[in-house]
Amino acid sequence: MIELIAHNLAPIMFVSLVVFLLLGYPVAFSLAANGLIFFVVGVELAPYSQSITLDWPLLGLTIGRILDVMRNDTLLAIPFFTLMGIVLEKSGMAEDLLDTAGQLFGPIRGGLAYAVILVGALLAATTGVVAASVIAMGLISMPIMLRYGYDRSLASGVITASGTLAQIIPPSLVLIVLADQLGVSVGPMYAGAVLPGLMTVGLFCLYVFAVTIVRPAYAPALPIDARTLGSGFASLLAVLLASGVAGILGWWLLQDHIARGAGIWGAAIAAMSAYGVALADKHFKTGYLSHLAQQVVSVLIPPLALIFLVLGTIFLGIATATEGGAMGATGALLMAWFKGRLPYRVLSDALDGATRLACFVMFILIGSRVFSLTFYGVNGHIWVEELMTGIPGGTWGFLIAVNALVFVLGCFIDFFEIAFIVIPLLAPVAQKLGIDLVWFGIIIGMNMQTSFLTPPFGFALFYMRSVAPNGPWVDKPSGRTIAGVTTAQIYRGGIAFIILQLIMVAIVVIFPWLSIGEGEVKVDTDKIEINLPSLD
Amino acid sequence: MEGLLRVSGSIDRLTLFIGRQVRWLILAAVLVSAVNAIIRKTFDTSSNAWLELQGALFGAVFMFAAAYVLQKNGHVRIDALSSHFSKRTRNWVDLFGHVFFLLPFCFLMVWLGVPYFWESLRDGENSSNAGGLVVWPVKFFILGGFALLLAQAISEIIKRWAVIKGVRDD
Repeated sequence: MIELIAHNLAPIMFVSLVVFLLLGYPVAFSLAANGLIFFVVGVELAPYSQSITLDWPLLGLTIGRILDVMRNDTLLAIPFFTLMGIVLEKSGMAEDLLDTAGQLFGPIRGGLAYAVILVGALLAATTGVVAASVIAMGLISMPIMLRYGYDRSLASGVITASGTLAQIIPPSLVLIVLADQLGVSVGPMYAGAVLPGLMTVGLFCLYVFAVTIVRPAYAPALPIDARTLGSGFASLLAVLLASGVAGILGWWLLQDHIARGAGIWGAAIAAMSAYGVALADKHFKTGYLSHLAQQVVSVLIPPLALIFLVLGTIFLGIATATEGGAMGATGALLMAWFKGRLPYRVLSDALDGATRLACFVMFILIGSRVFSLTFYGVNGHIWVEELMTGIPGGTWGFLIAVNALVFVLGCFIDFFEIAFIVIPLLAPVAQKLGIDLVWFGIIIGMNMQTSFLTPPFGFALFYMRSVAPNGPWVDKPSGRTIAGVTTAQIYRGGIAFIILQLIMVAIVVIFPWLSIGEGEVKVDTDKIEINLPSLD
Repeated sequence: MEGLLRVSGSIDRLTLFIGRQVRWLILAAVLVSAVNAIIRKTFDTSSNAWLELQGALFGAVFMFAAAYVLQKNGHVRIDALSSHFSKRTRNWVDLFGHVFFLLPFCFLMVWLGVPYFWESLRDGENSSNAGGLVVWPVKFFILGGFALLLAQAISEIIKRWAVIKGVRDD
């Protein structure tokens, strides 16, 4: 009996972890305690099984592992990007963007929904925090969409799904964590997520377009009297066209002279020239630009500048992800400060939010390191490997099984837990199968995006519930009483977008070049790399 | 019970104070890291001491905030099942977890942490990076953070027990 237990300690340990976690005690401490309890059991049972390599002196290593966690430079980016996200949320950038985008797209059918998707993408490209995006858009756009008769499920679905874009469009927190756990650098992960992220945005827009065709009443255009920015599309178009030309010219002139990133510089030139024109027009009061064009250009610039500051510098190789995060957070703080929207209270609250998030994330990591010390000591990694390589279908079977697993887990637990507990177990197997780890990480990241929308525990749905009107409310601008949004409507709204996201996961799996480029080999069973990520 | 609750109250005030102050170190870490990045690019030099400083600041934040986050119930739980438990059951789960999971873990870390920190301080251990910082402050953050977490665990146990006994409202 004892020998049976000794030989199967890894599965027993895993099952007991699941039980511990389901009790609802904090994840970080459950992981650590599970590791320690089974360490004691393992040492006692070591004489009975060859596969247990634990002894008392090994326990002293736990504290060294905590020092390793503290020295982890990559994860330093987490509080930076969180701080940046919270500061931007509190400084009202999201409001400005949503108001303007809503006015810009409002006149067309489904316009408010497009505005939410695009603003969601812009916010995602500056922050990486889902909660901030969903709450901001839920507070600002939801009442407007309801006022003008949007279908309730569609409205909340668009908002929650667009909020989750922060998960996949860089600089997302989940990609940082995944890069760390997979032992790859963050830069390639970010670069690889750009195209799939943009395609997700495109897919969302296509869906809204399809809805406006099939069910026009679900997403009506803004009535004439609600359009406050006036007309003046011509001058906006002219500005955009001119700056676009400037950008392309810049790209064309630069591409022979600099090694990389001509496209990024071109985009920067385009944005700068549009801003320059708007600024000059305002300053000299020439009046060439319409109010609309002025407004659009001036609210678009701060997020674009931040995106360049953070992502541009990371992609150009100027900055690491951590440095990019620090620059972005500094930029966001300065921006909020110049606008006079950074009183002591806001700064202090933002720092507190970043502290809390960073603390619980790092403690889950500490817990999982204590857990893995024992788990590897009882040959748990070999058990998982045998389990996963036993799946029929080789690489494809593995990928399908992993995606199914992550999807199901995502319904119940948070992406941080999946990344810290499950991914370290899967990464060595993926590597053995010759799967490109960047590609693997992006697939997992895309998949985890759904975890925010899947019942019963979809966090984007919870955020939405917390800000959407519960019962009937009086809409001030129109003076009408509007019915609230039921929880069932919020949950239903997410379904279409879950399907869209799963389609994207499939696309990324089928077309690896979307994330890792043409030149690289995606599946090569001969290529087994020696440098294992530091998981043990 | 009265006396124990007073002890718990004192611990809570201490961790709250520390937890509220360490947040400013995040701001410091952001600024240090941003300046490091700018200097690295413009002057093509970098100092390991400053690079290590940003990590050390962050380390101090999450180690010393752990007790505060515990007090504010900010460590994530998987509540898929437990949200259906009664309040009483959840109290018992917390009490059980604090006593059998958290307490031994913190105790072990403090027990290992004392010699870990002390030897580093005594030997004046330096970072393995050229021009890096001395190591003992970081090791002190580990020790101090877990000592504080241990204290907070005791405080939480007292509070849970008082709630279960009906002496204290939840």
